[in-house]
Amino acid sequence: MNARFVGLELLRAVRNARYLIFSIMLPAVLFVLFVNIYDAKDQVFPNGLAVTTSLMLNMAVFGLMSGPLATGARIAVERGSGWQRQLQLTPMSSSGYVLAKGALGMVVALPGILLVSLVGGLFEDVRLSALQWAGVLGALWLATLPFVLLGIVIGLLATADGMQAVTGVLSMLFGLLGGIWIPVEVAPGWLADVMRVMPTYWAKELATAPVVPGVAVGQAVLVLLAWVLVLGVVAARRFRTDTARV
Amino acid sequence: MTQTTALRAGTAVALTGLHKRYGEVPAVDGVDLVISPGEVVALLGPNGAGKSTTIDMLLGLTTPDSGEVTVFGQTAREAVVDGVVGAMLQNGSLLEDATVAETVGLVAALHRRPLPVAEALRRADVADLANRRCTKLSGGQKQRVRFALALVCDPDLLVLDEPTVAMDVETRRQFWHGMREFTDLGRTVLFATHYLHEAQEFADRVVLMRAGRVVADGSVAEVRATVSGRTLRAVVPGATAAALRTLPGVREVELRADRAALACTDSDLALRALLVAFPTTHDIEVNAVGLEDAFLALTAEEDE
Repeated sequence: MNARFVGLELLRAVRNARYLIFSIMLPAVLFVLFVNIYDAKDQVFPNGLAVTTSLMLNMAVFGLMSGPLATGARIAVERGSGWQRQLQLTPMSSSGYVLAKGALGMVVALPGILLVSLVGGLFEDVRLSALQWAGVLGALWLATLPFVLLGIVIGLLATADGMQAVTGVLSMLFGLLGGIWIPVEVAPGWLADVMRVMPTYWAKELATAPVVPGVAVGQAVLVLLAWVLVLGVVAARRFRTDTARV
Repeated sequence: MTQTTALRAGTAVALTGLHKRYGEVPAVDGVDLVISPGEVVALLGPNGAGKSTTIDMLLGLTTPDSGEVTVFGQTAREAVVDGVVGAMLQNGSLLEDATVAETVGLVAALHRRPLPVAEALRRADVADLANRRCTKLSGGQKQRVRFALALVCDPDLLVLDEPTVAMDVETRRQFWHGMREFTDLGRTVLFATHYLHEAQEFADRVVLMRAGRVVADGSVAEVRATVSGRTLRAVVPGATAAALRTLPGVREVELRADRAALACTDSDLALRALLVAFPTTHDIEVNAVGLEDAFLALTAEEDE
């Protein structure tokens, strides 16, 4: 993989104003809004998790999705416009291209995670030790990987016209079915079952682990890994057929 | 002899028995082509002649159904990886969210021995557009930026698929001026075009394609000679193909029942001889068809 290439790609991503607004600002804004709506400060869930911390983690998971999904989906634009053909006239291999897009997805997930956390720590009374912060941020970042792959799969499957709708619907679905908007505790039984297979749900669980005891870390890692594997295989197969046809 | 050609002795491009079909349609139907280092070759033909598919196979973007591609003795992909071949694709897009310099820089970052970005921009005559967003370029400017993308790997072979399509007359002239700078270094160029005059003016050699095949290949003068032929049709009672083939000015013979179609290099000569040899010949027609039709189609498109 090529660091300079990823750097220039990053510059393009940063320049995309819509990306900045939606993937960095929106989760932080919603976080502040929810804390106020629910009058969440000083409230604590039975498992000892402060409600503000929980809301912060929910919005961080929401935020970490949109960046990687948007950048991955841009592959569809590059496929449609012929830029990918241009890149095929360079030494970069097909897998190198996907790896570069993957690295880019991991990087663009960071600002959203960090901004929500910053707002939580500075303005919304989220009190964590340095070690807990490190654990939470690390867990959130690692949990980004399935969404990076999901973005790449969308980019390889969708058309340039359709990809925006697809990412919108998918991030809504993953949020809704993953307990980001409705907590698993109040969801009906069938929905709770669905939530427990979603990467969004386990991303939040994993990020909760450094804060309160009793989180099924092993299960969280396993489910997230399963998503990584399945999406990775889909991306690899799709990419092979896509380039073979060109 | 320049250093480049001395280094790259041998064959620049060798296409052997190339076939490619899309579904039932043969796009390229048996193309053989050898290009020597330093040649500037125009690939001429109407839309759908198979030019782009041939170029895609030459660049390793499309795998041929059968046949072989070598570029300076390597496979197409090896040549691309080595930075030996640079290409300007027909519908190659530019990035919407990057400047000209960034776009060229992205591609340069991927090559092993790229030119400095500023140098590639200068050679493509777009140095003044370096900080311009790619969305804010005219059609001709975009083409020149694509030219910079093709040049940035410092290639020995440049492949251009209809490079001047979006350019006005003046831009086109400037473009070919920049190309001269490249070819003066002894490097090889293959460009597809459907502008006949462009081929005449800039190519040492013209390869005319139609329906997936090479139908003429030679210097501009040679191809023009082929093209200036006519087809003579007539009912010739008692004729044999062998006898017709011996007539002066006849290049090819097609005979069905008594109906003969003679592709002629000189139809006047052929007609006189035909009437002497077969006095009962009747229903005579002399038409400009075949290759000339192809060229007429080509030149007609220029007027648009």
